[in-house]
Amino acid sequence: MTEAYVVGAGQSPFGSFPDESYRSLFETAFERALDSVDGGFERERIEEAFVGTLGVGGRQLGLSGPAVTEHVGLHGIPTTRVENACSASGFAFRNAVTAVRAGLADVVLAGGYEIMTDTGSDHTKWWLGVSGETEWERLSGTTFAGVYAQMASAHMDEYGTTAEDLSRVAVKNHRNGARNPNAQLGFECTLEDATSAPTVADPLTLYHCCPTTDGASAVLVASEEVAREVTDRPVRVAGMGASSDRVGLFQRGTLTGIPASRRAAERAYDEAGIEPGDVDFAEVHDCFAIAEIVAYEDLGFCERGEGGQLLRDGVTDPDGALPVNTSGGLKSKGHPIGATGTGQIVEAFEQLRGGAHTQVENPRYGLAHNVGGSGGSATVHVFERSAEGSA
Amino acid sequence: MRGIEAAGVCIPRLRISADAVADAWGRFSGTGIEEKAVPTADEDALTLGIAAAEAAMAEGGVDPRDVSLVSFATTTPPLEEEALAPRLVRALGLSESVSVRTHAQSTLSGAQALSACLSATSPALAVASDLPRGDPAGADHPFGAGAAAFLVTDSAAVTHLDSATYVDEFPGVRYRERGDDEVAGLGATAYERDAVRTSVIEAVNRLDADVSNVHAAAIHQPDTRTPTRATRGLPLDTEPLRRGTVVDRVGDAGAAGVPLGLLSGLASARGDDRTLAVFFGSGGGATAMLFEGSADAGLDDQLDRGERIAYPAYLRQRGYVGGAEVAGGGAHVSLPSWRRSLDQRYRLVAGTCPRCGSLAFPPEGVCPECHRNVDFDRVELPRVGRVRAVTVIGQGGAPPEFTDQQRRDGAYGVAIVELSTDDGSATLPAQLTDVDPETVAVGDEVRAVIRRIYEQEGIPRYGVKFTPTGT
Repeated sequence: MTEAYVVGAGQSPFGSFPDESYRSLFETAFERALDSVDGGFERERIEEAFVGTLGVGGRQLGLSGPAVTEHVGLHGIPTTRVENACSASGFAFRNAVTAVRAGLADVVLAGGYEIMTDTGSDHTKWWLGVSGETEWERLSGTTFAGVYAQMASAHMDEYGTTAEDLSRVAVKNHRNGARNPNAQLGFECTLEDATSAPTVADPLTLYHCCPTTDGASAVLVASEEVAREVTDRPVRVAGMGASSDRVGLFQRGTLTGIPASRRAAERAYDEAGIEPGDVDFAEVHDCFAIAEIVAYEDLGFCERGEGGQLLRDGVTDPDGALPVNTSGGLKSKGHPIGATGTGQIVEAFEQLRGGAHTQVENPRYGLAHNVGGSGGSATVHVFERSAEGSA
Repeated sequence: MRGIEAAGVCIPRLRISADAVADAWGRFSGTGIEEKAVPTADEDALTLGIAAAEAAMAEGGVDPRDVSLVSFATTTPPLEEEALAPRLVRALGLSESVSVRTHAQSTLSGAQALSACLSATSPALAVASDLPRGDPAGADHPFGAGAAAFLVTDSAAVTHLDSATYVDEFPGVRYRERGDDEVAGLGATAYERDAVRTSVIEAVNRLDADVSNVHAAAIHQPDTRTPTRATRGLPLDTEPLRRGTVVDRVGDAGAAGVPLGLLSGLASARGDDRTLAVFFGSGGGATAMLFEGSADAGLDDQLDRGERIAYPAYLRQRGYVGGAEVAGGGAHVSLPSWRRSLDQRYRLVAGTCPRCGSLAFPPEGVCPECHRNVDFDRVELPRVGRVRAVTVIGQGGAPPEFTDQQRRDGAYGVAIVELSTDDGSATLPAQLTDVDPETVAVGDEVRAVIRRIYEQEGIPRYGVKFTPTGT
């Protein structure tokens, strides 16, 4: 088995772009990914593509992969659309790595896109509920905010997590996002702003919820041989883990964690041969503030129930022992569903090459954690910086 | 002797005072009505009827599978055409071979439902449930809502002594034009009073009994004055009439009006006290029934537990304002898919894994614990459980299929409820109803009620919601 490396990664700005289409945003992300390869990169070398999208708005539900790869000149290559709700492009990336490791291709594109801000509010809410368990969860009257709010209520009841802990996630991620020119909500907020904002689904306020976002992201995955040829600073995919679970929160036996994240993390750590304590920074799936707190626990950054304490201690701040969501996370950078997973990998790529907007000091291992729905699927990838000239 | 073995009642929890309506319109056209019951956005004739029938069945000693007839009376069926009773049959877990009848189109339908059950020879369930609507400017003023259910058997506490009917043509007293959902009256006052009084007196005179000594009399009651006017000339005192009148607190409950009055009379009766019930229907005619004995369906408790709302909230709850089609459609669950889940949505049927004993809800696919492909053993979960997680979906947070409900009823709670048996527990997500959702916390005890969930392709769908056991 050959090793797989990330040799290029780019994203479009995340935000609301009435003048852009899903194709033009994907093109921006793709061109930036090509440009990020040190010596430049010819698109003709890309042999296969995996594209994540939920298809919000129904604008191109069928053949939504080829619709963008053909647009950017990847003519004729096999393209597969991956749909796993919010973890679509985490899984697209997994497919790309698998193809390279299996020796089926030397260069594979993984990416994703979503346009979410150009439909009316009823229509948008319709789409925000499509990845909940439809027959029971959705028809109890919830969209995702409601399901994660239920998770928060159970976590608060069981572990004493507070509304202020939820707000700390928002304050931290907004502070990071404010330094990221690609962030949708690139402004800072205070604990007071976050706690006193209007309630979306009790106990979650507006600041505890990610926005709806337009955006695209693209990552170039290459074999060791190609990686060695095109860059001195490739990023190694050190560990890969993924898992699925029942779609509805109520079906999973626990309301205070996401078992799929736990299983995915165990596999990724195992493959990378590291412990959670070896991770130098992480991009975690903070679609709602409670999701980041739960992620700390599922990823082994702390014990069950201690996620809030990690925030209170500043451990996950940029200058803490384990910075989380230096990009701003889904909360501030934005959450264009299909583009989120590979968007996280863009940040991991930049951190490990020393060019991130909120740069962590000399990191070796970075982690990206992408969740579908309320936990029906999850990917965890561990990345390692190459020692100089080693790849 | 055949008669009423047990009875049940359901009065919606919301109330509006006559004063609040009068403040809004400068007058109130519902003589003697002090307050009236208001159905919430997720209640209709079926849900009120199911709740009353459930209570009657719980009170009586009849196995649901032994009920041989269900007679459902309402002037406000959720759909203009389509049998209503089969939904109640599924919701209560009655037998597939039960006879079902729906009586509609008249306030007299309550009598028809009860008569059908009294004439049967095996356990029968009569349900009268109604929530009439009218022009908010006037005709609507007296309209309330409620349901009464009667379990009729041959070993009854309340025996049926006699019934009599009078029929003649008296149109226009209370009618609804084809395609209209608002009740109207001609307003020819003298004619209408005469129609009611003639029908009532003629029906009572045809009874093979003396009514001068009745303990209570429940007479057709669109307001409090009609029972008195309609019985003028009969040997009835004001006290029996008062005992059989509930319109002052429920409002005009249409086909359920006299049945509720009958329950009020039976509740205060002692020993071999007799209670008279006289139903009138525009069209016209009347049916009189005489009973002996007592039964307490808990009507007073429900009447005492109301929660007052203001007139704008009333207009929203009843759908006079606020309801709207929303863009984007709803979550599409096909009707056949929905139908396959009825045992779960009504009866909370879970599955026990024959291999590892775990509970699965809904009982589909492999066992959630041992992941084996098994044939689950059916088990009905208890209808009381505990909240394990809860949120409140505020204005704007609802999926589009719940927008209409939210506009009418406001923010709603959604809980994950744990229902435990000796073998373990199952969880399900469900809406909270009949409660201020802000007051519900993890750990609270809740019980299942059947309510309208949502409507798709024009067809209302019903299923379980939960309400705190304290309410």
